[in-house]
Amino acid sequence: MNETVVVLGGGVIGLSCAFELRQRGYRVKLLEKERCGGQASGAAAGMLAPYSENGESPDAFFRFCRESLQIFPEWQRTVRYVSGLPFEYTESGSLYAVYHEADRLALETRLGWQRRNGSSGRIVEGEELFRLEPRLSRNVRAALYTPEESHVYAPHYVRSLERACRLIGVDIQDRLEEAAVVRWEREIAVEARDGRAFGGDRLLVCTGAWAQELADALGIPIPIQPIRGQICAYEAEDRPVRHMVFNSQGYLVGKGNGTLVCGASEDVAGFDTSVTERGIERLRAWNKRLFPFLEGRTPFHRWAGLRPATQDGLPLIGPHGRVVFAAGHYRNGILLSPATAKLAADWIENGEAPADYEAFLPSRFEGERSLSAR
Amino acid sequence: MKTDVLRIGGRELQSRFFLGTGLFPNPYVQQEAIRASGAEVLTFAIRRINLEAPEDDSILQYLEPGAFHFLPNTSGARTADEAVRIARLARASNLSDWVKVEISANERTLLPDPVETLRATEILVKEGFTVLPYTSDDPILCKRLEEAGAAAVMPGAAPIGTGLGLLNPYNLGLIVEEANVPVIVDAGLGSAADALQAMELGAAGVLMNNPVAKAKDPARMAQAMRLAIEAGRLSYLAGRVPKKRYASASSAPEGHLLP
Repeated sequence: MNETVVVLGGGVIGLSCAFELRQRGYRVKLLEKERCGGQASGAAAGMLAPYSENGESPDAFFRFCRESLQIFPEWQRTVRYVSGLPFEYTESGSLYAVYHEADRLALETRLGWQRRNGSSGRIVEGEELFRLEPRLSRNVRAALYTPEESHVYAPHYVRSLERACRLIGVDIQDRLEEAAVVRWEREIAVEARDGRAFGGDRLLVCTGAWAQELADALGIPIPIQPIRGQICAYEAEDRPVRHMVFNSQGYLVGKGNGTLVCGASEDVAGFDTSVTERGIERLRAWNKRLFPFLEGRTPFHRWAGLRPATQDGLPLIGPHGRVVFAAGHYRNGILLSPATAKLAADWIENGEAPADYEAFLPSRFEGERSLSAR
Repeated sequence: MKTDVLRIGGRELQSRFFLGTGLFPNPYVQQEAIRASGAEVLTFAIRRINLEAPEDDSILQYLEPGAFHFLPNTSGARTADEAVRIARLARASNLSDWVKVEISANERTLLPDPVETLRATEILVKEGFTVLPYTSDDPILCKRLEEAGAAAVMPGAAPIGTGLGLLNPYNLGLIVEEANVPVIVDAGLGSAADALQAMELGAAGVLMNNPVAKAKDPARMAQAMRLAIEAGRLSYLAGRVPKKRYASASSAPEGHLLP
């Protein structure tokens, strides 16, 4: 295989796709405007939680998330082995906590379809709940316990991915400041700020919240908006939180480095990645209700990232001529990195994908253009 | 044209579109859709709200303060007592004194429990709430809810989230005929045609969430629904022509307009 794929974007999706494509024998050039993992990927809390993140129904997106969770253990072993760089991967299980008797109906409905879809979860309450999570507020009425969910330490996972890519021969060009697509219909040509041009046979767009910038150049609507997610972390050497704990407001997850991460406070702020007092106060307004020991504690670290949110909540994964998209993963980029890498590589290698995942085709937003042409 | 306002619980509403705030793919799309809908009344599940800091809640934080009237709902409640309990919590946190009573007994259909819904309505009316019960499309039950003091009745078109449209337009028509309070068709709608049909039947308004939030382009669907609701209302007020078995010519034979 001598085809060259130019991958745009060095976040978790671009790196994972490059890693997969290189293993399948492609020559891969990865272009990054700043540095790899410098945006949403490095800011993520790294939760691999398809059951907690999808409360409604087992739709195509859920199935994609679940598939990714299933292949994650082997995928992360490969990344770890190839890179030689360890990162935290913890099979902690999760709790989705509720406060009202009226939440039970929704929990039971959710548990019903999730148990038919790979979860061995159950509703826990009272003594059992507080044995699982001793410092949880006694105001928590019940929780949906899902043993299958896990988490990674995202900044280290992305760093290992980058190293693994370099070691197997992915040509990573970073700090390009600009990566303008100048040709894509017959061959690929991308130009950096300093005038260097990068050519190839196929283009894989993995630029997350910035993907929309390519809409004009590629002649396709790309309805992806940045949603700012603000996160904070507490020092918690004594590991006071054992599981990933979710509620309707957000989540808390204890990391192996002795920090307790609390996220995420979402807002619409364009491409602004600054942290606001209000954003962090929002997290502090609910997290003490979940874990009373947080009352009065101050987070030692605060940060923000831009989540690439699509108009219908589904990612854009699939072809557009010589171009393939893998963007718009919103809250689930870390979780979806292995399944996306395989799906995008399948599109490039075979030109097809499972029918179920046609829901993610970028062409679904082209309706307006084709209608007005009639 | 005469102004056509909707009055519920002493409040005048220009918009007859009641919108649920859940299920949207992200806050950006949610904001765009709410704007496009023109809705003045927004509903949400009380149990999902951070009642200690509603202004910082994960959903309510995106809404411009004071720009909307809230209709908190008791979804998830399985008994009148549970519904009453969470309605009181919502009022105590100054969210609203309106409440949508929503009591479901079956996790698969989420159909409202008529007995518990009536009981909760009676209790909450006595406590001074403006009560809008979500109910089955049963004309007698709707009458009983009205007699219990409901400020409006909200019969379902079909089970929540199914998008099946108006399963029993005959019953909804009867409910409208009999009612002395506004009838808001709630739940089960799928497309703009369904919203228009409900309004043509004489509904005073329509409440929905899923058909907008889960559309491929939620903001555009919100606008479509808004227009359908307006069109249906105008069509109802204007009065449709009777149906005839055979054709009658559109152009008058002797040209009365232009002699």
